[in-house]
Amino acid sequence: MNGHLLSATFVELTDTMVADFDIIDFLHVLTSRSVELLNVSAAGLLLADPRGELRVVAASSEAARLLELFQLQSDQGPCLDCFRSGRPVAATDLSADPRWSQFAAAAGQAGFFAVQALPMRLRDQVIGALNLFRDTVGPFDTEVEHVGQALADVATISLLHDRSMRRTDTLNEQLQTALNSRVVIEQAKGKLAERLGIDVNQAFTLLRDQARNRNQRLSDLARAFVEGTQDMTGPVGGSAGTSRSRTRQPRTGPRPAP
Amino acid sequence: MWGLVAEQAAVRGGRVSAADVCAAVVPGAAVTGAWLSAAFDGQAGHLMQVTDEVGRRLADLQLTFGEGPLLDASASGGPVLASDLADGDSGARWPAFAPAACRAGAAAVFAFPLVVGAIRAGVLGLYRDRPGPLSDFQLGDALVFADTATMLLLDAQDRAAAGAGPGDGPGGQPAGLASRRAEIDQATGMLTEQLGVSITNAFVRLRAYAYVNDLQLSDVAGDIVARRLRLVPDPDLSLGDEA
Repeated sequence: MNGHLLSATFVELTDTMVADFDIIDFLHVLTSRSVELLNVSAAGLLLADPRGELRVVAASSEAARLLELFQLQSDQGPCLDCFRSGRPVAATDLSADPRWSQFAAAAGQAGFFAVQALPMRLRDQVIGALNLFRDTVGPFDTEVEHVGQALADVATISLLHDRSMRRTDTLNEQLQTALNSRVVIEQAKGKLAERLGIDVNQAFTLLRDQARNRNQRLSDLARAFVEGTQDMTGPVGGSAGTSRSRTRQPRTGPRPAP
Repeated sequence: MWGLVAEQAAVRGGRVSAADVCAAVVPGAAVTGAWLSAAFDGQAGHLMQVTDEVGRRLADLQLTFGEGPLLDASASGGPVLASDLADGDSGARWPAFAPAACRAGAAAVFAFPLVVGAIRAGVLGLYRDRPGPLSDFQLGDALVFADTATMLLLDAQDRAAAGAGPGDGPGGQPAGLASRRAEIDQATGMLTEQLGVSITNAFVRLRAYAYVNDLQLSDVAGDIVARRLRLVPDPDLSLGDEA
């Protein structure tokens, strides 16, 4: 594992956790860095909805197909087993694994053959899981599991940023707010994709880049764009293809809409 | 759970509406009372239903003071769970509302925004006359009741505006309750551009299209996102902000 990249990632993540950071943007960065650091093909975060199902809140790619694959696991898959047991669950060769035939078939079709799920734990409660996909068969080494678990723990802490951690109420409030923000972002992705004739993954990147350029939270910009109170411009200089993001600066005050 | 809501409508002798959710959630989530405010044109605060006088008083207090859990829930898009209005947290959050609510007979207030992303249909408020958090089970139930109320309010708004709604899904349930797929939300966003309508009306049109053509909502959404299907603005259907 690349030690420099590891330390740079933790510095970036803690830098991003300033007072007014956007949880979806933060978790997107976390899943993207997980892919680079842990040398996997894709990463996703699923949170447990008190309605009784797991829901995708962030993924290393916003491509619809990958999001669907993560979401499939609300019915069956390593994430669901990990969430229920509170322990890491791995499959080193999905095609030969009898546990989740429907999920394994869909993952294979998308080009993924090994998977690991790591629990997001808060005291005695499991609130979700970090899910890693790889395009080759074989075991995940222990270092991947340890660093992956550390990233899952950072994701858990980030959900509790706002108020005191002692209240269970707070966690449930944050969780539902994050899940609804996720829906707002999907709506904004659709609107922007349709307006500019681009795909939803490009639309996400564009939204995120513009939120950063305007020093605005991703969820706030997405909501304002969907409600029609703030407009979006097309990609400038190919910025929609940027894969590495800058660290967000602390917000100094509200900005007027352009 | 749908059975509990439909039962209330049968007792009332009318078509199932969001008001029935308000009555059904009280035993369902083991609370003392509930109230429901509908949002119109993005403005919250139209009190639609209350189960008792304390509920009515709590709704009034928030309007009077301009602060309270339901207003916060509306603003954040997430629930606000105040399991003890007499504790320091609540007092700091709502210095005027919290003590007044206690005097009115409420010890805990739980507020659920009736939202689908940026679509705002209203807010559901629950209160208890004794402090104490909702259990995980009660919270899950309350969220499902809130989802049901959201869909019923959107149906009702559409019927009021256009005289005909997307109607009911299987078993009389509002269409679109069970599906929580990213493609449905993306397709709704795409329709705001295709049809030139608000996000609320885009969602109504998406559900109406699925219902009229007897298709699954997620299949229609998938076709729109894959750009195999486009909807066209309907000049005959006067829908709120299109008029």
